[in-house]
Amino acid sequence: MRSLRYLSAILLIVVVSCSPVKKSTLTEVKHDDKAPEWESPFSKDFDKAMFKASLDVRGKHLSGIALIKKTSDTSFHFSFANEIGMTYFDLELWKDSYRCDYVFGPLNKKAFLNILQHDFRVLLFTGSFCGNPSHYKDPVTLDNIYYYSASSLFAYFNKENGKLTRLAGWSNLVDAVLIGLEYTQGPFPSGINILNPRIGMLLDLNLLGR
Amino acid sequence: MNKIGLFCFFAFCTCLTFPSSGQVKALSSADAEMVKKSIAEAAKSTVSLESGFIQTKELSVIKEQIVSKGIFYLKKNRLLRWEYTYPFAYLIIFNNDRIYVKDEDKENHISIQSNKVFREVNNILIGAVQGTLLQDTKNFQCSIFDQHDQFKALLIPVNEKLRGSISEITLFFSKSDYTVEKLVMREASGDYTRIEFMSKKINQNIPDEKFAIP
Repeated sequence: MRSLRYLSAILLIVVVSCSPVKKSTLTEVKHDDKAPEWESPFSKDFDKAMFKASLDVRGKHLSGIALIKKTSDTSFHFSFANEIGMTYFDLELWKDSYRCDYVFGPLNKKAFLNILQHDFRVLLFTGSFCGNPSHYKDPVTLDNIYYYSASSLFAYFNKENGKLTRLAGWSNLVDAVLIGLEYTQGPFPSGINILNPRIGMLLDLNLLGR
Repeated sequence: MNKIGLFCFFAFCTCLTFPSSGQVKALSSADAEMVKKSIAEAAKSTVSLESGFIQTKELSVIKEQIVSKGIFYLKKNRLLRWEYTYPFAYLIIFNNDRIYVKDEDKENHISIQSNKVFREVNNILIGAVQGTLLQDTKNFQCSIFDQHDQFKALLIPVNEKLRGSISEITLFFSKSDYTVEKLVMREASGDYTRIEFMSKKINQNIPDEKFAIP
């Protein structure tokens, strides 16, 4: 029993000390100016956005229309329905919790919903308020990368326009989440993809309107 | 009584005397059977149907709407082309037990037997536009109402699995030709989807290529 406890503790330390991005692949910037102030594109003036959406998980493909709406200063609603209008799921998201208002039977898996809601919290509730970051650079693109150790979050910024292009964090102790943001029409992302490599989940959102 | 009071009194009396155009009256079982028979006969004589549609999905919790538009083609037997043109191009062809989906440039072939969601969608769409859902006593309990210039058919799923996703389907049929004019599908989540059909063309030639699965 005692050895099992030690084993669990060691496993926890190993997992927590891991990072969703290998720092050894990045170039550390030692003498640095002040880190930029940034917020999720869904903060401030954001009200709602409608996306063409597709979700691939464990060989299943779902597609349709998704809506993200800010429901208060501290909460968002995420709704995803197929093209015919049948709801896959409805989630209410807060910074530290979530509520599932509806989920279509076959998708009603606690582990899956937990990962999904954590991924959304990385997308919706992060910013420079996450702590003091370490500064790195991508050796190929020279984009700026800031690592917030308190929340194990990497935030990537385009070196030319300073836009947030990628977030890498954890959905839980073992599942990393990689969020890519693309911009073609102004300051709000026109494309967002959320990838959980371990469970093979990819949620692709393409902006239809705001 | 002052003038405003007199006006309100007469307005109230008028409301009592003339029922509103949206008034709904449940039909007796004999009358309901007659309507069902007329709808079935109209469906039987419909070899093909082409119609535009506007679909409105109401998200009950956040009080938002998602509007889609498109056109559908139906041909006997069990051939349906359901094509969205707004807000993006999306095509589904139901050809008996096979389904073809084209999502912009992505194509997908699905067997109706292996996909629960598409099986439900196929049964509901074809059954609704042909009016055959009214005869599906195995899955639905049906009540018919007289509503102004339409007959309203309220379908409550009796099948527990179906009830887990859909709480009721309401079909509105034209009194003039007994074809479906509107479909409202209420989900267990409280959301509902309304599909309104317009510019219907009945029994016009629709080439088989429209339903061909590549």
